[in-house]
Amino acid sequence: MSTETTSGTGPADTQEMTFREAIRLALREEMERDEDVFIMGEDVGKFGGVYEVTGDLVEQFGEARVRDTPISEAGFMGAGVGAAATGSRPIVEIMFSDFIGVCSEQIINQMAKNRYMFGGKTEMPITVRTTEGGGSGAASQHSGTLHTWFAHFPGVMAVAPGTPESAKGLLKSAIRSDDPVIFFENKEIYGQTGEVPLDENYTLPIGEANVEREGEDVTVVATQRMVGESLELAEELDGQVSVEVIDPRSLYPLDTDTLVESVKKTGRLVIADESPLSYGTHAEIGMRVMENAFFSLDAPIQRVGVADVHIPFSPVLEDEVLPHASDVEAAINRIV
Amino acid sequence: MVVIDIETEDGQREALRRMLTIRAFDTKAGDLFADGELPGFVHLYVGEEAVGVGACSALEADDYITSTHRGHGHCIAKGLDPKKMMSELYGKADGYCNGKGGSMHIADVDAGMLGANGIVGAGPPLATGAALTAQLKGEDKVALAFFGDGAVAQGQVHEAINIAATWDLPAVFVVENNQYGEGTPVEKQHNVQNLSETAEAYNIPGFTVDGMDITAVYEAVKEARNRAADGQGPTLIEAETYRYHGHFEGDQQPYRTEEDIDIWKDRDAIESFKQRLVDAGTITEDEFDEMKAEIDEQIETAVEEAKSAPYPDPSEAYEDMFNATVPEISQFSSQMRADGGEDR
Amino acid sequence: MTTTVGLVVNPAAGRDIRRLTGGASVSNNYAKRRTAGCVLAGLTLVEDVDVLVMPDSSGLADRIVDDAPSDLDVGFVDMPVSASGRDSRNAAAHFEQHADAVVVLGGDGTTRDVAQTIGDVPVVSISTGTNNVVPTPIDGTVAGAAAGLVATGAIPADEATIRHGTIEVDVEKATGATSIRGLATVGVLDRAFVGTRAILDPEDIVGGVVSRASPAEIGLSGLAGGLVTHRPDEPGGVGFRLAREGATGTRVHGITVPGTLSEVRVADYQVLDDEEPYTFEVPRGVVSVDGEREHEVQDGLVTLRPVSDGPRLVQIESVLERAAHEGYFRA
Repeated sequence: MSTETTSGTGPADTQEMTFREAIRLALREEMERDEDVFIMGEDVGKFGGVYEVTGDLVEQFGEARVRDTPISEAGFMGAGVGAAATGSRPIVEIMFSDFIGVCSEQIINQMAKNRYMFGGKTEMPITVRTTEGGGSGAASQHSGTLHTWFAHFPGVMAVAPGTPESAKGLLKSAIRSDDPVIFFENKEIYGQTGEVPLDENYTLPIGEANVEREGEDVTVVATQRMVGESLELAEELDGQVSVEVIDPRSLYPLDTDTLVESVKKTGRLVIADESPLSYGTHAEIGMRVMENAFFSLDAPIQRVGVADVHIPFSPVLEDEVLPHASDVEAAINRIV
Repeated sequence: MVVIDIETEDGQREALRRMLTIRAFDTKAGDLFADGELPGFVHLYVGEEAVGVGACSALEADDYITSTHRGHGHCIAKGLDPKKMMSELYGKADGYCNGKGGSMHIADVDAGMLGANGIVGAGPPLATGAALTAQLKGEDKVALAFFGDGAVAQGQVHEAINIAATWDLPAVFVVENNQYGEGTPVEKQHNVQNLSETAEAYNIPGFTVDGMDITAVYEAVKEARNRAADGQGPTLIEAETYRYHGHFEGDQQPYRTEEDIDIWKDRDAIESFKQRLVDAGTITEDEFDEMKAEIDEQIETAVEEAKSAPYPDPSEAYEDMFNATVPEISQFSSQMRADGGEDR
Repeated sequence: MTTTVGLVVNPAAGRDIRRLTGGASVSNNYAKRRTAGCVLAGLTLVEDVDVLVMPDSSGLADRIVDDAPSDLDVGFVDMPVSASGRDSRNAAAHFEQHADAVVVLGGDGTTRDVAQTIGDVPVVSISTGTNNVVPTPIDGTVAGAAAGLVATGAIPADEATIRHGTIEVDVEKATGATSIRGLATVGVLDRAFVGTRAILDPEDIVGGVVSRASPAEIGLSGLAGGLVTHRPDEPGGVGFRLAREGATGTRVHGITVPGTLSEVRVADYQVLDDEEPYTFEVPRGVVSVDGEREHEVQDGLVTLRPVSDGPRLVQIESVLERAAHEGYFRA
């Protein structure tokens, strides 16, 4: 259980809700809190979002603040950047991260660079929400996991929570942040439930990992869907192997200290993330540990991800390429 | 910025002054670049002065503009300080971006100048966003996007105008048709003969004005601004103009001849406006010469001060990425600097 | 013997700010290209017609020639292109020597430019918008057929054209004198700049002289037409002066700009004889010609005179009706 609530934490009331509902709650609270916050994207209004995340928000906040856009990712991403530069606090939804290529110009050359290029004289308080991940037969153009691109690219923060609680806390921080944050939501866990604090002042700082389960023998750094699967696996292995599960939650900035501390204790590291393996998130996490805990490592670092292919359509093929708990278990078995 | 009322004689003289300032600034910048004084690229606005000054004269002080890679003219037209601009061109610490942006990224958000832009066509979506802020907050502000004829062929420009039109945003889109998209004539890049015709696709008014006549640009933008501020949505204005210099300094310009350029120089925006003011008795030849000399001196001073201004400390390279503190940047930068960076 | 028809298509479309400020209609270059194609098709009603098209820098004329019907010999006038009104005048000067009729696609301004150098060659003027006084808004095929009938002499030009009047403008200022020429209307406006050229605000109108007046027209000729009707081929014209603030005058409704029905007060109006002057003292203002602000004046005397030396305009309907009467359309 997380303890990183900000000061002013209210009553410790929590409620069980889905990942999707936790995000919607964060959106609702932040829109109530700050009228400069607005949402725009494809079908976010009356439709309620293609994954029903925005839901009924349009009824509460109206069409001006829960704004359906034309299918013009470059146009409305740019409009988000322009709005953020002029005193608004936009939340831009890109329906599938696979579509980010369509608007990446506005992200990489405007959103990510303006503050720096202008000598720090402008802020860019924009949040981009997008979905990732395979598992629903959506095939290659609607199933990708692209967060590594933006965790790599200087000037944006990349957040990818694995639990409803962290989704709420981090999204609220993203919206309040004066920096651009891209918030990656794995669509396979939208229905996953968890206890979520109801306190409207509950936020989680971007750049802090969370130890979801303590263990002694091996550290599993898992993201998004892999967090839940790794936790279940850890329970199954309980008594044989003591598994520590950490959700980094934020990929950039990355909480190196928490990861390093864990590996110093366990001596073994498995990284489970749904992105492709080459030049990736796994590599960065592994390298940070190598740089800081090289002499604590008792075994080679193991990577669990996608073997540099796209997500195929046929359920058999899709299941083949996606990482699962069984892959994490195999990785653990290789080094423990 | 100081708002110019071009309907008054004072306003006309100020408009002339700004056009002259742009020409002096950019002519100087071209010379400095040729002498190897300025690093990077410079794209000069010489020839197009009436568009920037005419358009900005029609705006209110709090209105926004987005600019292009050829942005010096827009900056001066919006009232930015040539000294801080010149310092930025030199990469000095007292430049508009503390030396981080250079010629193509001068910005002064407080003055409503949302940035020159190195990406052709990236400005209009930003203007659409600024206009969206104005609409959401109910502010009496308008966002004007300057972009070139080349940008009209960019998908994101179409998206931006379509969004602004669909949402009735208070935006004005000004196409500076300087006849060449980089080194290719406009007719080889577009199937419409007048770029303003594209407005029909958005169901908004669009028309072409003589971009060599500051009064035409002013009047057109004034009407478009009124319409935008009145909640009636954006307007697309094409201003026909010409850049006397190459796409960038050093461009050999195989795509045109001296004669092509002379046709437009015969209609020079500054010369013709000055002549009209002289004919009208608003300014005398002597006063004009005096104004020109003052401006030349102002630019010379700006150059001298920029030259003697300090460079930013090398450690500044690691500042300004985020408002928040990001441990990676301090950690990696100290690693890199420990490898000798500090003494370079 | 081969007949030559000249074709002038003004590529400078879309310059009318009244699209923004008023109800001006739009005619884009695609529409003009299609209309020009219709004109060429209409010309095939008669035989042995060559067509010479005014070149332009925008590619519009190239398209028109490329798309021409294969049984027509269509080429360009050999002339330099300046991308200004000068092109229409130069092309018309060429047609004055070498064409039997000329078809103009444009507005009042283009027709005026052509009129200045076209001499006695019959002119078919087709409006590509709805905001013009002189050109006729008519299908290009119909107009092309009429042009062909007049050019070949099948219908004698003398019987199928009218001579439109013009207005001579002399501006005398301390800095020198200028002469310009209007076709249908010349106005004096209380505005400092030429600016976007269009007459935006009826309140700016000081007065003017028109060579034709009818309430069925938009602008100054419509304003004068509210007082008196004057046909385009009648010698002379109508001069008028509006009442300035505070002064009294006859109240007149007029369609001053598209989409605007205004009430103005006329202090004085006068039916003018051929070459009878009507003058304005202008401390600061602009002279408009055929609906467009043209010339800035500071402390000047503006003298306007109707003159009966305008272009010979083909009366399209009467040409075709007469041709039908003579059995021309019976295959």
